[in-house]
This record gives sequence, C-alpha cells and structure tokens, in this order.
Amino acid sequence: MRIYALPIVAGLVLGGVVHIVTTLTMPRLALEDAFSRLARLGPPNAVQMIPDPKPSEAVLPRMDPSFTSAVCVYDLTAGTLRVRVPTTTDYTSISFYTRHGLAYYALNDHAAGQRTIELQLMTAAQRAALPEDEEITAADRLIIESPTTEGVVLIRAFVRERGVREETRARLAKVSCASET
Amino acid sequence: MRVIIILIALAVGIISGLALTWVASASSFGFGAIRIGAWSAWPKSGTVEADPYSRAIFARAGELPLGLADGFSFVASSDDIGAPLDGRCDIHIEGRLPLARFWTLTIYDSRGRLIDNVGERWGYTSAEVLWEPDAHVDIVLAPRARSGNWVPTGGRDQIVAILRLYDAPVGVGSRSGDAIEMPAIRQEFCP
Repeated sequence: MRIYALPIVAGLVLGGVVHIVTTLTMPRLALEDAFSRLARLGPPNAVQMIPDPKPSEAVLPRMDPSFTSAVCVYDLTAGTLRVRVPTTTDYTSISFYTRHGLAYYALNDHAAGQRTIELQLMTAAQRAALPEDEEITAADRLIIESPTTEGVVLIRAFVRERGVREETRARLAKVSCASET
Repeated sequence: MRVIIILIALAVGIISGLALTWVASASSFGFGAIRIGAWSAWPKSGTVEADPYSRAIFARAGELPLGLADGFSFVASSDDIGAPLDGRCDIHIEGRLPLARFWTLTIYDSRGRLIDNVGERWGYTSAEVLWEPDAHVDIVLAPRARSGNWVPTGGRDQIVAILRLYDAPVGVGSRSGDAIEMPAIRQEFCP
C-alpha cells in the first residue's frame, strides 16, 4: 500500500498546479464567453440592440429583465472609438469590459451629470500619441483607456414600469458608437 | 512498475485538478465569495481587481459582471439554513434591504434563464414591490398564485435569486458581512 502513497501525494500536488493553471486560463479559453455571444449580434464598432431577455432565449445568462440594453463590441486596431449616450429619463449606465470580461470602468447618469454622455475610448498607445494641446482642449471630453484592443461597451437603461419599455428602448437606440481614424 | 507509479501520479493530478476547477467555476459553490446569510457576493468582480475565481465563474457562465459603479449583485441559491432553493416550496424573502438608488430581485432557473409564466413576472424592482411598514419587504416565490409580492417559480426544483443594488453607496461591497442588512430567506410547505 505504501508504494501508492508517493504517487498519490505527487498527483495531488500536480492537481493543485492543474487547478491553478486552468482557473487562471478559463477567461481566455471559455468559448461561449460574453464577448463571443455579443459579437454574434452584429459587426464591431457599431451599436447593436440586445433583445430583451425572455425565458426561451437570452443573449447572456442572468440578464436583469428590468433593464433594456445595447452593446458596442469594439476593436481599436484601426482607431479610437467615440461613444455618445443620450441618457434616458431613468437610470442609465455605461460599463466597459475587456475582451476577457474584466469590468474596467463604469459610470451612470448621476455620475456623468449630463444629458448626453460623450466619451472617447482608446488604448494606452493611442492616448500617448494624442497631440498635447488636444489633450488640454479635450478637458471636457471624457477619455477612457482600454486595457485591451478589443472589448465591450454595455449600455443599460432601467425600465421602471412595463409601460415605458418601448420608449426607453427607442431612446437607447439613439446611442452611437463609431470608429475614428 | 515505475511507469505505473508515474501514470497514477499524472492521473490523480489531472483528474483532481480539473475536478476542483470545475467545482470552483460553478457559481453555486461560492468560491471566493463573501457570504451574508444565504447571499453570496463577489465584491471585486466588477473591478479590475476581480479575483481569478470570480473571473472563471463569469467566463464559464458567459455572463458579464456588473461594473461596481453601476451596481452590486448578491446571489442566493439556498436558504438561511443551507437547503437549496426549491421552486416547489413557498420561499419567503423577507426583511430590510441595503441602501441603494433602487434594487431589482430576479429569479432564474439553475441555468440562468428566466422562468416562463403568463404574467411575465420574473421578479420585483423597488419601484413595483409592495412595501410593508418600516421599509420591510416580503416577497414570496411559489408555484401557485399568492396575494402580495408573488413570483411564480413554475415548480422548478432548483432556482436562484439575484438581488441587484444599483448606484449603491461606495463601500457596500468592501465592508464585512455584518455591516450590511440582507433579507432572510426561508422555505416552507416543501413537497
């Protein structure tokens, strides 16, 4: 029996390593991750409305049905991205995720304090390449740095009561997201 | 003989490692979560400091975590005494809720889908719910119609409740358990 003790202990140590490696790589290896699901809705660098979740089908699992959402799957390879979000009459939020689902920035209508939230998304390299004077004139413009070239901008609006769903969705459809070269 | 010993070590390693990852990345086990009563939360899941377990859980589910400046979510898949939430029982979610601009409570099946019902009633928001005096709420998840705040469960045997606090004060996610008051969950009339 003692002959099996060593391989089992060695195996468990190896198991720990396997566990750590697979857990850390899961966000990169998951095939049906949120980015892949959202990317299927349409071309990148353009706003796509996400169908409201229904029991029979939902783009992402566990979506909050009290919200209606739009998404802009982006790719900054060709240039920066300009996002304009007219806020709705109720809570509106904009969340930013990397290619592998890390939430790196979010803001809501209260925090923004404006009727239209306008921002520019760029990589660190693109930001560094901005002419210096432009950075100063851009003080009133919100610049967000994306840690990855690809990612997701998720725009969600709260539907306080059923009656306002269509109206909220119509407002959300005015969100724009476009590549600037 | 030596080959057999190495093979045993490899087999034990690969099987135990993968099994552990599989369990840890299923959200219902709450790896890396803080627990308040029956509720679990991954306080940093909506930030760049998200821990590897919460990232693996969200990636595997294909879900996007709520950004912290947006909202904060608590997940319950069992009641206060640890019994799994069973949609065939009457499940009471009762008590006071943490401070936030508003909240939503939604019920899902074990695969994260909404539960079909005629009234398209999948949960409540703080704007729709009927409040008890003293800022309490009492929401009942049950297979058969009830008066008050009723969410139909369609008799699913496994259900998950998610409470999302929107525009919550900074710190909801960083405080330790007893600083936040969460509603109690109890089940009765189980088959």
